[in-house]
Amino acid sequence: MAPGVERSFTAASTIEEALAARRQGASVLAGGTWMMRDPRRGVDLPEAVVALHRIPALSKVEVEPDHVVIGAAVTHAALGRALRGSAGFEGLVAAAEGAANPGIRRVATVGGNLCALDFAAADLAPALLVCEATVELQTFEGPRLLGISDFLKDRHALLTEAIVTRIHLRRDLIASAHIRLPLRQAGDYPVAIVSLAVDRNKRCRIAVGSVEPVARRWTALEQAMAAGPASALDPQRVAELALEHNDFQGRDGKEADGWYRRQVLPPLVKRGVAALLSTEGVAWL
Amino acid sequence: MVVTFQLNGEDCRLDGDPMTPLVDILRQERFLTGTKAVCREGFCGACMVHVDDEAVPSCLKPIGLVQGCAVTTIEGLSSGNQALHPLQANFEAADAVQCGMCFPGMVMSLSAFVRDNPHASRPEIKAAMVGNICRCTGYERIVDAVADCLDQARKAGQLAGGIHV
Repeated sequence: MAPGVERSFTAASTIEEALAARRQGASVLAGGTWMMRDPRRGVDLPEAVVALHRIPALSKVEVEPDHVVIGAAVTHAALGRALRGSAGFEGLVAAAEGAANPGIRRVATVGGNLCALDFAAADLAPALLVCEATVELQTFEGPRLLGISDFLKDRHALLTEAIVTRIHLRRDLIASAHIRLPLRQAGDYPVAIVSLAVDRNKRCRIAVGSVEPVARRWTALEQAMAAGPASALDPQRVAELALEHNDFQGRDGKEADGWYRRQVLPPLVKRGVAALLSTEGVAWL
Repeated sequence: MVVTFQLNGEDCRLDGDPMTPLVDILRQERFLTGTKAVCREGFCGACMVHVDDEAVPSCLKPIGLVQGCAVTTIEGLSSGNQALHPLQANFEAADAVQCGMCFPGMVMSLSAFVRDNPHASRPEIKAAMVGNICRCTGYERIVDAVADCLDQARKAGQLAGGIHV
């Protein structure tokens, strides 16, 4: 920032106020755990910032019998507390309670995790992909709902004129799991992340994070599993299918080379299926 | 931008860049140097403080976000002229402190943890401190001291409300 220029900081109390600041070029500040490290990455902090933490509707988790709505400013810690014990959301809870470290989880938000454009290792992205979450945006033209796969693919463009406000989840999962491979217990970004879920139709959903720049569903593996016998939830068998259908292009990074991120996927899938089988939801299938 | 908040129980008013990390205000303007700025990435835990009773890394907290909040630093936990926090007393008794660089952060993380988790198991204590790195590597003594602190609190019948900061 140029010397003598005062930074603009708006603590919005409504979505409309936040959008007005965004329209004037302010960057959205959620928990700050990504943006505050911009200077460490050689990036200047934005000259204008709009904070969302004072908008009450964005800090709520609404748990209803058939759906869940998560405010974008809900922290990882709060999300874990709100959904702990909810059948079908075991993976999302594990993602919220296993990311980073406890101090970060008390600050970092759901919206921030999904909107940090250069953050490939976001834990919530694959966990929400297998939930087939819907992302609610407030755009300059009005509200908009978008499937999370499309949101993640297009978020660079979308976020130039929109703010993520809520995440909507159907309660159609009977079990889920979230497996991550960090190099240490905490403090590292995971080398690879695999989220898995089984829906009421006994279809298995699988998503992978941190291997490619943006998390995505592993549709080739899902289709291979769907083509198999009903007893497809065998960890060894699924790991073999994962090896056969590994269509990921691993990204090189300081934690790990791309080939390694790709290579660890079958064993992570095996662990994930074993975790699924240990849940109550799958045990009685 | 003017930011006002409570700092160790007293009113604090600042006029400056709202994106300044809280740790820099504490150390450079308030001379509360118990809070350490080490990694500045939220990984090491040396800068942990309580904001509205939650232990958070102050290196990643812009002061614009603490407007109206209550901030407690290691200096606010006990002045040194009064009784130590039970956790500090246990660390001292167990001779758990080595170089001391990580310790203010350890105390701030774990004092909130013992307050909220009076029945915590040893694995839960370890899970609570994964974001506090000690390069002297004296973790087991620290875990022992936290377990002792909880044990003493249970015996003293302080379970109902946990251990208060």
